[in-house]
Amino acid sequence: MREREMSNESERELELDCMGALCPAPIIQLGKAVKTLSVGETILLKADDPATESDIAAWARLTGNSVAPISKHVYRVTKK
Amino acid sequence: MVTAGAFDGERPLHPAGAKVLLAAFEQGWAGPNGLSDASAKARQLLNAAREEIGAGLGVSGTEVEFWGEPALVSPIAIMGAPNFSVGKFVAGATERQEILAVGAKSRAMVTIPVSAHGLLDRDQLLEEVESTSVVAIQSANGETGVRQELSDLSGLVGGLSAHLHLDFAASGPLMKLPSYWSTADFPAKSWNGPAGLGIMLINKDRRWANPLAAATSGSTLRSPGSFSLPLVLAAAASLTGWLDDATRESERIRGLITLMRAVIKQTITDVDLAGSGAVNESLPHILSASMLNISGEQLVNALAQEGFAVASGSACVASAIEPSHVLKAMGLLTHGNLRISLLHGVQESEVKRFLALLPGIVERLRLDAGA
Repeated sequence: MREREMSNESERELELDCMGALCPAPIIQLGKAVKTLSVGETILLKADDPATESDIAAWARLTGNSVAPISKHVYRVTKK
Repeated sequence: MVTAGAFDGERPLHPAGAKVLLAAFEQGWAGPNGLSDASAKARQLLNAAREEIGAGLGVSGTEVEFWGEPALVSPIAIMGAPNFSVGKFVAGATERQEILAVGAKSRAMVTIPVSAHGLLDRDQLLEEVESTSVVAIQSANGETGVRQELSDLSGLVGGLSAHLHLDFAASGPLMKLPSYWSTADFPAKSWNGPAGLGIMLINKDRRWANPLAAATSGSTLRSPGSFSLPLVLAAAASLTGWLDDATRESERIRGLITLMRAVIKQTITDVDLAGSGAVNESLPHILSASMLNISGEQLVNALAQEGFAVASGSACVASAIEPSHVLKAMGLLTHGNLRISLLHGVQESEVKRFLALLPGIVERLRLDAGA
């Protein structure tokens, strides 16, 4: 996991690269990473496991966080 | 026969079927179409079994066809509909894969979405179905136990006189045929009959032609006849015995599943229980729960070590690469999935032991995963 500077804002955003990781590892890693955030902060998840696409929406519903798909295999998650 | 802890949906042959099976191999060995005395005897046994199965399923014996390959029954029934090559093929998003695969052979396929509780979107069904359509609907889902409102949905399709194929693989005769239907699939396994026997029902008032007729034995046969007569006889005996059992057992088993849903919800956090669990929306014996942050394979293995055989629809089991299309269509978590199917005769003590163990196993697996 690494931090990167948002290009057009002064906020910082964590990036979590789970490309190649298999179900349920991306969701577990995401949950751990989100615990380190404050409310309103975001994390960019990259994951290509076929289950992540549907599981990330279910994860958000169960945990009360929000998810927005950015592009194929990339999701922006906001801690609520 | 030991079935304690067998919660994975595998069904042993019903004792009534097992009893007739050996005798059936002795008496029903000849082909039923020959001229010998043995063939005449076989023909007599086959006709009696056809009538018995028809009566058990609520149809006439002439509407019952036997197939030696159960997985082909639905695809063949659908492809034999009069308009299959010209009309739309309309199927629910949670149908079995072998039914959805028929879409590749159709002129055009439309998939009807389901609600979060797994119920078909009736408005979209109404919008998509035309008189030339071929529609496939399952009575209930084998992964989640969600049952469809067949009388309502069949009425919608019947109003347009479209071909309606119904898949009873999950519910078996627990659910009845509605007043409108064209073809139906009842594997003998659905009532603890023998494996390897498919049963296709063809409504005598609807048109249907075997799409493989030219490739099998001629022009008019509705099935190739390549089934095992002893299995048919065992299926008939199993059906009669199973219906008797179901009368006694269904409500007791529903009580156990209701208890399981309540305890799982109460004792395990971050869990997705499939379906509403309401009586009119669920089969009595099936439960599906997906638990966040654990692997389905590890869960199945951990329960196996405690003597429980369960199934999982998760992608994270050795046999699967893609997540369950059923859980996905319902928007449910596809990992950490546990699928339970209770058999007639299941003991309440087994269920309670399972419920006492499950929360601790889930907690341990989550800790091990660092969640």
